[in-house]
Amino acid sequence: MRSTGFSFVAPLLVLMVVAFNLPILYMLGLAFWEKGRGFTLEHYEGLVEAPVYLRVLGNTMRIPVIATLANVIIGYPLAHWMRGLQNRARLVAIALVVLPFWVSILVRTYAWIVVLGNGGLVNRALQWLGLTDAPVSFLYNELGVTIGMANVLLPFLVLPLFAAMIRIDDRLMQAAASLGASPRTIFWKIYFPLTLPALAAGTLLVFILCLGFYVTPAILGGGRVPMISNLLDTLINQIPRWEQASAISTVLLIVTLAIFAAYRRLDRKASL
Amino acid sequence: MKRRTFVAAAASLPAVNILSGTARAQSKEIRMIESGGASGESIEKGYIEPLFKKTGIKVVRESPSSLGKLRALVESGQTTTTLFELGSGIVQQAKKLGLIEKIDWAAVDPAPMFPEAKAEYGFGYQYFSTIMAWRKGVKEPKTFAEFFDSKAFPGKRCLPDFPHYCLPFALQATGVPIDKLFPLDVDLAFKKLNEVKKDVAVWWKAGAQPPQLMKDNEVQYSICWSGRVVGDPAFGLNFAGGKADLSFIAIVKGSSPENKAAAHKLFHEMSLPENQAKAAEVISYTGPSPNLDPLLPKDKLWQFPTSKQNKAVQYFENAEWWADNGEAVNKKWEAFKLNL
Repeated sequence: MRSTGFSFVAPLLVLMVVAFNLPILYMLGLAFWEKGRGFTLEHYEGLVEAPVYLRVLGNTMRIPVIATLANVIIGYPLAHWMRGLQNRARLVAIALVVLPFWVSILVRTYAWIVVLGNGGLVNRALQWLGLTDAPVSFLYNELGVTIGMANVLLPFLVLPLFAAMIRIDDRLMQAAASLGASPRTIFWKIYFPLTLPALAAGTLLVFILCLGFYVTPAILGGGRVPMISNLLDTLINQIPRWEQASAISTVLLIVTLAIFAAYRRLDRKASL
Repeated sequence: MKRRTFVAAAASLPAVNILSGTARAQSKEIRMIESGGASGESIEKGYIEPLFKKTGIKVVRESPSSLGKLRALVESGQTTTTLFELGSGIVQQAKKLGLIEKIDWAAVDPAPMFPEAKAEYGFGYQYFSTIMAWRKGVKEPKTFAEFFDSKAFPGKRCLPDFPHYCLPFALQATGVPIDKLFPLDVDLAFKKLNEVKKDVAVWWKAGAQPPQLMKDNEVQYSICWSGRVVGDPAFGLNFAGGKADLSFIAIVKGSSPENKAAAHKLFHEMSLPENQAKAAEVISYTGPSPNLDPLLPKDKLWQFPTSKQNKAVQYFENAEWWADNGEAVNKKWEAFKLNL
């Protein structure tokens, strides 16, 4: 039984190993092995000596934290609100959350320029209302990148959270109320702890996806928000110092895998 | 010795062609990786079409071209791409890395060319300028000192995200004349950029960004490639203090002799002034022929990087300096960008 199953997945497995895993291993090895010189740790030393790369990596951690927090602040109430809707309204709400999934990330990112640009909808509205004299700079800074990221990734947080929320039995809250608990106590003592594993798992998922963002910082950052993918692009395509890029990628991969391991643990708890 | 056999082979090439017919001596189709956009179309109109008419050789274009791609091509051992477009500084780097081959100029047999374009490792095919431009209606700067003076010339700026463009312009703003820019005073240039960075809304990576951002009124002033803004009534521009540079096409290392023979034929077409005039109709950049000016439309001379009045006020890119100092400056540039 087990062996027949294996023969079905074998072609895919071979494809993955040959076309994906081996090249990745080769790429990671580039930093350690130099043609004609053998083993070297020079490129990792370069990483420590040039603090600029590590600072970009730090930046790459910080912006996703902000974007993820923004996602939680928007996404949690949204998922909770959707839970309370009637069936038909709930379907419409889910459709509206999922809809952006079907639009290319490039289109969505450029759309923010139309909305938030100096001559964009928001700025024109603000000036028309007399709230501001000069256009507010929403774009080409960290704020723009954060908004763009939060928008792209919202469904990744809302959908698992919503799934966990509708599983919560209403009778638990009713029982708590009948025992005299205030709505605030019910939320913090019963509802929130039940959603916490899904929230934590969704948060980590969003955070991991943020780490590898390239398009959004490239377009909405205006070249002023250096993130690791954009630095890698420069090192691989322009300079081209693949060895250095490989060392940085390895560090990024290890960090991401560590976070992913945490995600797996939380996700298992959430689905229990 | 190698050189002698090389020259001898080159000299005997036409004879071989007559003897064995052209079928074996050259390919009927070669591939080229170039910058794309209007520049790529100008290569098509100006050089590829005439070559096809004369010889039946097809040139297939791909884009964009980056040094990383060239390195990947050569290191993976593939030889299907014969020609590769590179910036003047990048040619030096590619030569150091052993990614390109020498051009056999005897086989090319070019029409007269400016000497800097007839390089050992590349065919300098297109002069282009990097200049200041602005959205019509704002106060018009005449020098880079004025361009960077945001008090007297208020508005957001859009600058290239490349140090070899920004540093010389920033130096001009500190009062260095264009004939004394190199060797670059890197620290002074960064000091100036640190003063003005608050006014820079966008650091561009793609040449299409600055004109679009000016049209959208996201920025009012840009440093951008001349061909992207000349002739558009929405923009004003000034060549003063601009950078004249030359783009090269090189032969990828390991190309087969048949493909190289076809590439040499294309190079010959690229050296002819009448073809360069056709290319200049597509994009306002000019080829390397000293006899090109009379073939260009009189009313458009002001748009071209190499016409007399523009050439005199610009500085020429110093590729050797960048080949020696580029890597160190790049690191400083990344650090500078982190503190924006």
